[in-house]
Amino acid sequence: MPDRRAYVFLADRGGEEAAISFGELDRRARALAVRIAAQAPRGERALLLFPSGIEFVVALFGCLYAGIIAVPLMLPRRHGARDASAAILTDCTPRLALSTAALIAGARGDLTGRFPADRLAWLATDGDEPVDRVARGLPADPAAEDIAILQYTSGSTSAPKGVVVSHASLLANLAMIQAAFGTTRTSTLATWLPHYHDMGLILHLLHSFYAGAPQVLMSPVAFLQRPLNWLRAIGEYRADFSGAPNFAYDLCVSRYRPEQMEGVDLSAWRVAVNGAEPVRAGTIDRFAETFARHGFARRAVTPAYGMAEAGVLIAARTRADGPVYRRLSRDELQRNRVAPPQGDADARLAVGCGAQLIGERIAIVERETRRRLGPDEIGEIWVAGPNIAGGYWSNPQAGADAFAATIAGEEEPAWLRTGDLGFVDGAGELFVTGRIKDVIIIRGTNHYPQDIEHTVETAHPALAQHGAAAFATVDPDGDERLVVVQEIERSYRHRLDSDELTRRVREAVVAEHDIAPFAVTLLRPGALPKTTSGKVQRALSRQLWLDGGLDLL
Amino acid sequence: MPPASISEAEIRDWCVACLQRMIDFPAAPVAPDATFAEMGLDSATSVYFVVELEDWLGRELAPEIVGDYPTISRLARHLAGGAEDDGAG
Repeated sequence: MPDRRAYVFLADRGGEEAAISFGELDRRARALAVRIAAQAPRGERALLLFPSGIEFVVALFGCLYAGIIAVPLMLPRRHGARDASAAILTDCTPRLALSTAALIAGARGDLTGRFPADRLAWLATDGDEPVDRVARGLPADPAAEDIAILQYTSGSTSAPKGVVVSHASLLANLAMIQAAFGTTRTSTLATWLPHYHDMGLILHLLHSFYAGAPQVLMSPVAFLQRPLNWLRAIGEYRADFSGAPNFAYDLCVSRYRPEQMEGVDLSAWRVAVNGAEPVRAGTIDRFAETFARHGFARRAVTPAYGMAEAGVLIAARTRADGPVYRRLSRDELQRNRVAPPQGDADARLAVGCGAQLIGERIAIVERETRRRLGPDEIGEIWVAGPNIAGGYWSNPQAGADAFAATIAGEEEPAWLRTGDLGFVDGAGELFVTGRIKDVIIIRGTNHYPQDIEHTVETAHPALAQHGAAAFATVDPDGDERLVVVQEIERSYRHRLDSDELTRRVREAVVAEHDIAPFAVTLLRPGALPKTTSGKVQRALSRQLWLDGGLDLL
Repeated sequence: MPPASISEAEIRDWCVACLQRMIDFPAAPVAPDATFAEMGLDSATSVYFVVELEDWLGRELAPEIVGDYPTISRLARHLAGGAEDDGAG
């Protein structure tokens, strides 16, 4: 067992770049833990700043062995401007930052400069420490309620929210995940998802480890470059579990070339999870049809729903029956009602995301009254169970709002309010139909309107402060796209180059958020809908934009 | 497949045509001297663009090359110079 491969990392251009057995992983993690423990007492935080690969996994387990709270982060983009780095630093006050020697030395721009803090010590995990010595002096094993990880996938760049994941809640979700998907030591998993994203970290990286199964890893860049390489890896390694957000399945279809799939057999792929963003029936159908000829079975399609605040997984289709759809009225869904469509133009297919997992409860609740709703009634999705996270690291107010909700007439338990809308049908199947929370999801990643609005407003002096609204619209293919509308500053209205302004806005949003706005719409001064107290009305802005009712420049 | 030595102008024209295909929002402003960010090329699209460019040129390019040479004109000039590119600007 100790010599069995735990992880294999594929180079971006193909071939195995690195591999590690369970035994080596344990030895390296313990040796690293000794070094970590010498620099920080238990309970301190360590940032983990790594490219995709095995080094990250060693660092993660090193932290866990040392009793240090691991904070996995995305590497700051080399040419990116502002990001959440400084705010996360302030929020979790880490004592350590773990990375590779090359990155610390500046191989990819000034990494250490992005995290200015007097108390922060940088530790290279890939130094020449001998790993054959038995590590001595490790702290005792963690208690169940000790915090293992902080996940910063929620919250805006100015107000990040670190989801507190204890060992107990993590193990609870991993047990639910293993039970849901039937993963064993003889399974093989595969992923290209980033390790700082909950779907990558928990649903893949830790899931395989928990089951004692090997996993094949690729970088997200490798996937975006050549999406079919993901499928080729699944075929070559006979992976039976691999998941990704909806856009990834669309990308495989749009970049499909038969010659690149020659000899690839996907028939071992038993669980193809689709989650992290709304799951679309059209995507499922196109993917299943395109890849059937390569052995892909439609019944492997596994729509799922989750969020970092719930460990990661809340629900998934686990019966290997394939996806289930409900054909509903689009108009009635806009009014948060479930009804059959009035003709084809009104029809929308809602995709079922499975039932609550074993040990967990899902409730649909009416937001204003906190009244529990019945089957086929749309309300906010609430979740309770041992997998629910402990709150946000240093934002107790936001934590109380989200994690300690009670249903009217019921004393307990404390429920997680997801901010998503949906219904459960008569058979217990969950359908996610919309979102209350103000978040825009692009390629499975959360973006916050207020962050984007700040970027837009400050992109040029001719743009009015507090004059921006950012929202999502769904394009003809069903994909979520970003729209920004921005008022012109009154004093500039007679000396404008609107093309130049549009370019500046687009450039700023790409540079700071790595999203290309689908539309940048400039408005006359004062044209942005606001409340009497001056707050921008995003939902109304969106409706007016869709209806063509905004006062354009 | 292009001939072994391609002119800067040919590379520039190819890039313009490629991005006009890839950038799918209304009024996409593809121009040789606009920055890739101004044209709305996020990292996912730029990775795809570089792969297509590699396949057309017949040589490997680092995905970060659009960060190091941030307009079509500058990128074309760099590539036509025949430099072996490993991503270091």
